[in-house]
Amino acid sequence: MIAYKFLRADGGSVFTGFAWPLPPAGPGAWVEAPLDPCRSGIHACRPGDLPYWAGRVLYEIELDGEVREEPRKVLATRGRLVRRVSAWDELRDAYTRMCADRAHELVAAADPAFAHWDSVVEPSLPEGPALLGFVAARIAEEIEGRAAAYEAERARQAEWLTERLGLGAQL
Amino acid sequence: MAERGLHVTCSEVVELVTEYLERALPAEEATRFEEHLNFCDGCIVYVEQIRATVGTVGRLHEDDVPPHAKEQLMAAFRDWRRSP
Repeated sequence: MIAYKFLRADGGSVFTGFAWPLPPAGPGAWVEAPLDPCRSGIHACRPGDLPYWAGRVLYEIELDGEVREEPRKVLATRGRLVRRVSAWDELRDAYTRMCADRAHELVAAADPAFAHWDSVVEPSLPEGPALLGFVAARIAEEIEGRAAAYEAERARQAEWLTERLGLGAQL
Repeated sequence: MAERGLHVTCSEVVELVTEYLERALPAEEATRFEEHLNFCDGCIVYVEQIRATVGTVGRLHEDDVPPHAKEQLMAAFRDWRRSP
């Protein structure tokens, strides 16, 4: 199965710091780990999961062995990085801006009682795409007063990313 | 108002960090915890500091603490117990 994985700029795993074998010209070495959600195993994103885990650099990862699909992530017992998705490097700022603009748009269309949310958008920009994606989705959730609005906004962000990263309609 | 518990807050990161590092959080809660860490630089630094502290303290033995420092610590604990 082909999936996606965000890493730190140094190629380390975001939460564990694990130093992934990076693909020089072809796929990197296989990494193996027993499967236990959020504890052990190779964790990766389907295209629809990307907004939840947006980070510094993005790789395509091949998963093998036992593969388990969970909400917001996919896990496997084996994985290897196949290639860096360099399109993300160029899209990261545009995606951040898109989320900010969307947040402004949601506030502008809502009841004036939600106007104070607008003030958190621009100061959050330096924090990058993960925070702005969250802010836009949380504003949608607050305005509509239901979790489904948060998920719908995340789906909208995933669609934007999938289309521009050329990942196909794999939502 | 939105449903409670859908998102982890910074205060909850402080509350749950030990369980997270001990891998004792249920999978769904651990996912929400990591979603928060992914966009909150302050919390990820905090979690890394706690991870480093646990790693360092875990290597210490009672004999590693000098007698003077041990006495100061014991006095601090006694005072803490007496405080209202």
